[in-house]
Amino acid sequence: MRLRLSALTRVEGEGALEVYLEDGKPKALRLSIHEPPRFIEGILKGKPYHLIPDITARICGICPVAYQISGVQAIEDAFGVEVPEEIEKIRRLMYFGEWIQSHALHVFFLHLPDFYGVPSLVEMSKVDKEIVMAGMEIKRAGSLIIQSLGGRTSHPVSVVAGGFSHLPEDLSHLIEPIGLALEKSLWVMERLKGLKFPDFELKDIVFVSLWEEEYPILKGDIYLEGQRIRPSSFKEIFEEFEVPYSTAKHAKLRDGRVYLVGPLARFNNAFEKLSSLAKEMALKLGLIPPLKNPYKSLLVRMLEIIHSLERSLDIVKGYKRPEKSLVEFRPKRSEGFGVSEAPRGVLWHSYAFDEEGRILKADIVPPTAQNLPAMELSLWEHIKGLESMREEDLQDIAEPMIRNFDPCISCATHFLRVRVVNR
Amino acid sequence: MRVGVFKFSSCDGCQLAFFELEEEFLKLSEIVSIEYFLEAQSANRWDFFDLAFVEGSVSTPEEEERIRKIRESSRFLIAIGACAVSGGIQSARNFEDFLSLYSSVYSQKYDVNPQSRPLSDFVKVDLEIRGCPINKEHLREVLMAFLENRSANLPSYPLCLECKRKGNPCVMVAYQRPCLGPITMAGCGALCPSFRRGCYGCYGPIENPNLLALKEAYERLGVGEEDLRELLRLSFNGFNKNIRSWL
Repeated sequence: MRLRLSALTRVEGEGALEVYLEDGKPKALRLSIHEPPRFIEGILKGKPYHLIPDITARICGICPVAYQISGVQAIEDAFGVEVPEEIEKIRRLMYFGEWIQSHALHVFFLHLPDFYGVPSLVEMSKVDKEIVMAGMEIKRAGSLIIQSLGGRTSHPVSVVAGGFSHLPEDLSHLIEPIGLALEKSLWVMERLKGLKFPDFELKDIVFVSLWEEEYPILKGDIYLEGQRIRPSSFKEIFEEFEVPYSTAKHAKLRDGRVYLVGPLARFNNAFEKLSSLAKEMALKLGLIPPLKNPYKSLLVRMLEIIHSLERSLDIVKGYKRPEKSLVEFRPKRSEGFGVSEAPRGVLWHSYAFDEEGRILKADIVPPTAQNLPAMELSLWEHIKGLESMREEDLQDIAEPMIRNFDPCISCATHFLRVRVVNR
Repeated sequence: MRVGVFKFSSCDGCQLAFFELEEEFLKLSEIVSIEYFLEAQSANRWDFFDLAFVEGSVSTPEEEERIRKIRESSRFLIAIGACAVSGGIQSARNFEDFLSLYSSVYSQKYDVNPQSRPLSDFVKVDLEIRGCPINKEHLREVLMAFLENRSANLPSYPLCLECKRKGNPCVMVAYQRPCLGPITMAGCGALCPSFRRGCYGCYGPIENPNLLALKEAYERLGVGEEDLRELLRLSFNGFNKNIRSWL
């Protein structure tokens, strides 16, 4: 017998969950992804390099900055462009804006309703308007940062290889909303202290994030169990493979182990580098690495929001428009790699270019594709012991587990191999 | 009033405009009944909709079937964003040989159409909200118009007007950069020229765009006709009915 939840809700993109039963007990499950592929990598072929940030942004409406930054860093790697630190700092600010707004969207609009036992943010606002309004205030601060630097929150227009097409004179109008959002975030954390989290621990999962001097976000090597791996060696360590029931590929370590990227992985690998308020709040809530309860990723996203707001405030206060917003360069026949920490985890881009800078090959690995095996494994651990399972359990037990991972199915699918599933 | 929000082939970015309405979104849900919106709620009902907002293009046989079903269940169908209005960035494949594009990247078979097409190629669309992504002001205006039983006041003129009003120097004149502003619908606030780059066409072509004049202006900048066509094909709106035959 098969139970099917035909459309996952409160996640980004389209997926379904199937659980196969034997004598009423769960026997196997499939997280089937039926989001249509959009062939972005194929479309990029033959096109000029400068289209990469505009086109790859469209892979994801929630984390376009991540795609733009990984993309331009790959171009810069290929053409040997050194971006000055003052420009990188502004890129960090924009990226913090994305973490803030994407995490706030997930925490308040998609995830928190589960902890209140309601179907939506709208219903949640009827029970606890204050926390919903705080969530909106926090999200707005993130959006404002991106808008100030790139014109709009989704698909901003200023990120180009070498820097920014143009930068604003002044950012002081951001100080107040960021400060307010920081206050609200600390207040929200105090409120969340009382939440009940189901007992569950991820088993046999390796936490993978980037390595930077700071809490990782913008660039760096890939950090795996104490080892640092160059972005150019990504495919030597990680392997993507196809699964028949999903239009998104899955990824594992080449030795077969399942790994996880994203907030929990970053927290576990770089806890010490969190901002002082974020670290203080973590200790207050008893959150210390290794943190393996995926339900608590909600709290880690909040910690990352606090970290991002605190760091953003520093950057905004010290902001002076650089004399040049852009480094000039010339394309050449070459290969390049770019990697950054999207809100959902490591996002890897790789390109090959011809002499004029036209794209010969494009390869992109988004975080959600890497997290699908961990998601399935956790779901299975969660339901395998159940004596019986009904249709409604899929929505009540299984779907909240999936939301813990903040899957972005739109991202996971758009370039990956798919196979026909006979329906 | 019963409202549904649906997603087809897309990046999810246009639906987010509902969330960006923030407190107004909460107020909206007091006045209307949001019956179907998978990204926002886990309780959904598909019965009949007064207003159906559809994000995304039609690019699979399943989506062809679903858009017809939505049309049958809805009084007004509103296409939101460049994918729904014109086919989106994924419609760039419509101008290439699909089989070779496909086999250059993939090895297996897909349950996917060779072309990504706008909703209006399959069903009657009552109203379009332009943009990649749409902006929340336009969404608010459309919602208000339906609530007040009047027609929505959305821009129908080219970006250049908006750009001039903003006081931007013309990027084609001042920086000799190609710009799609003269044939692109206004609505974004002339963002790209404000960031000193040419418009790349997010809001799609206006009705009866003067492509020949644009071609001549581009020639003066040393940009050839084929490059202009490529820009338009990659404008997220290349398969829009107003320009597709020219490409």
